[in-house]
Amino acid sequence: MFLVEWFRSLIDEFKFVFVNGNRYQQMITGFVNTLKITFGALLIGILIGIVVAAVRSTYDQSGKALKNHGGIGYPILAFFNAICKVYLAVIRGTPVVVQLMIAYFVIFISIKNGVPIAIFAFGINSGAYVAEIFRGGIMSIDKGQFEAGRSLGLNYVQTMVHIIIPQMFKTVLPTLCNEFIALLKETSVAGYVGVVDLTKAGNAIAGRTYSYFLPLLTVAAIYLIIVLILTNLVARLERRLRNSDH
Amino acid sequence: MTTDTVIIKTENLEKAFGKIEVLKGIHTEIKKGEVVVIIGPSGSGKSTFLRTLNLLEDPTGGKVFFEGNDITDPKVNINLHRQKMGMVFQQFNLFPHMTVLRNMTIAPMKLKKISKQEAENRALQLLERVGLADRANAYPAQLSGGQKQRVAIVRALCMQPDVMLFDEPTSALDPEMVGEVLDVMKKLADEGMTMVVVTHEMGFAREVADRVLFIDDGVIVEEGTPEAIFEHPQSPRLKDFLSKVI
Repeated sequence: MFLVEWFRSLIDEFKFVFVNGNRYQQMITGFVNTLKITFGALLIGILIGIVVAAVRSTYDQSGKALKNHGGIGYPILAFFNAICKVYLAVIRGTPVVVQLMIAYFVIFISIKNGVPIAIFAFGINSGAYVAEIFRGGIMSIDKGQFEAGRSLGLNYVQTMVHIIIPQMFKTVLPTLCNEFIALLKETSVAGYVGVVDLTKAGNAIAGRTYSYFLPLLTVAAIYLIIVLILTNLVARLERRLRNSDH
Repeated sequence: MTTDTVIIKTENLEKAFGKIEVLKGIHTEIKKGEVVVIIGPSGSGKSTFLRTLNLLEDPTGGKVFFEGNDITDPKVNINLHRQKMGMVFQQFNLFPHMTVLRNMTIAPMKLKKISKQEAENRALQLLERVGLADRANAYPAQLSGGQKQRVAIVRALCMQPDVMLFDEPTSALDPEMVGEVLDVMKKLADEGMTMVVVTHEMGFAREVADRVLFIDDGVIVEEGTPEAIFEHPQSPRLKDFLSKVI
């Protein structure tokens, strides 16, 4: 009896919180923005990560040989390696909220739409972490793989693209998935720069209705569901990639 | 099979890792069609010497000429020359994320711009010759050590090289699999392929080599026909070495 009563009041509450005044639309906007920011940032992060990791691991593994070889190759590589190191230090050394606010209030002061700025800021941030994940992955691949590729006549980039990076992806997939989950949850601070993301939407509804229970629990549940779906997809991908090691 | 055309020539070749001098000035000429076997104690520099021939190790002094070109010149595009120098490694170094067929076709397709069809036909013919045509779609992890090394050999042959470099090709194999790999190498030698082989298989050296180099402490201590080296060794170091291995 009590349960039925409770359930009925929950439905009333749900109607009041989400349906009245079409407030659920705010949740949808927030949900879509959260996904946009997360996936956009991950894409940027992976691209930055590949480039930074390639520069850093090349410098670590064959910088010395290149130096002995002479020519312009080494100074260029050393220069880019230094830039990458500064990037990693600054991005990993400052909070993502601060970076986001700097991007919004200082760098892109003339742009009013916060979503692309959030994608940019989270992408730059994520790139630093992904780069280190990838670098670990590249370093873990046997040097013989690289030598085999080069001995066939493939150049550095071809060897990276066809031989090293596909193997690296397989190794780093679980860690990369972790980073993706962390990123998804970090985007919940996007509200700081006026973006209506999932958290902001839930919070706004809660503020409007003075009812915190349902909006915040719904927000939490949606994050959880996204993460669960994602984990499941990655697990499937891992199984597929494992095809080659019977 | 040995002709008069010099295909590889080294002049005063030196290689140091930091303060440790591994090669201390190696002069030699390898002629087209010649099978040169390099023997010597471990740590003598024989593998390093082989790896400097296609510049997997950058020499710290001296020159390597391949088909008349000084490939130690930094301005030379080493990738073009490596296409004509096949290499087989002790640890096989097959690409684990690719099928046998893909292992063999990736370099010809990327570098020689031949069609997938043509590359696969050629690869299958080569697989047929080493008795592995039925394994074309297997992944390296599904092969035995001997099969892996035979695939590694035909992978290098797919680029139609002018010379084949073998870096202890049977050292990582179980004893019962050594024979099948050596048989493939013998066949290759009979067909007139120029080969440089670092090995501990003295039987192979005796039977197949046109010339044997004995390297110790970074220099060629003695060289000659298998008969001269194995039956009439001159230097005390070679005599000592042979007494230990035979």
